[in-house]
Amino acid sequence: MFDIKLMTDKNEILLEGRFDASQTDKAKEIFNQVNSTYSVDFAKLDYISSAGLSVLLMTQKRLTEAGNQLKLCNMSKHIKEIFNYAGFDMIFEID
Amino acid sequence: MEKKFKRDVNSLQEVFTFIESFIEAIKLDKSFTFSLNLVAEELFINMVKYNSENPNNISISLKKANNDLILKFMDYDVEPFDITQTEDYDPKKPLQERQIGGLGIPFIKKMVDKILYEYENRCSTITLIKHLRKANV
Repeated sequence: MFDIKLMTDKNEILLEGRFDASQTDKAKEIFNQVNSTYSVDFAKLDYISSAGLSVLLMTQKRLTEAGNQLKLCNMSKHIKEIFNYAGFDMIFEID
Repeated sequence: MEKKFKRDVNSLQEVFTFIESFIEAIKLDKSFTFSLNLVAEELFINMVKYNSENPNNISISLKKANNDLILKFMDYDVEPFDITQTEDYDPKKPLQERQIGGLGIPFIKKMVDKILYEYENRCSTITLIKHLRKANV
């Protein structure tokens, strides 16, 4: 199960469950609506694969061209490890 | 344990269920779920993506031998593609130079201790070995 919620009033995206390759279209629908700096909350996300990271990377590239960005927070230990390994800790602000 | 999966991104849930049944059957610590699901997804999706027209199912077998977990993926009637010979990943590339994709195989290489590649009779067999003594990610 994977769920994604866009909270436009708070400039926040909430992720929940398992963000795998079968969920990228669902995630892109939401991330493509973002045109300013947003916070992405990983608190309820159990799992993410390279497919999920690609959606985040694509969005970050688009946003930074206009001086905006995604800021990521509340990652689990497992998820943080793969972000660090991918070097994504250098291209995203992670709290 | 061995099972064949339809070559489709929507088979992923079944792949995860298979991995989690294995973890339960051998009474493995549940903290291995993340890394085993990740390597299984990355390799399975790689096979789906690069041979999408191939009608054959993909076979996955899982076993524990002494202190090793052995995950074997078999892909039938395919061209050779030796994942052990792929380039090393550069995590220091600046954002705008990064291409979308290409993280799957580096994740597999990070998560397991050994990767074996065999190609015979147009069948690719990729064996991933993870030592249980190693602190799991």
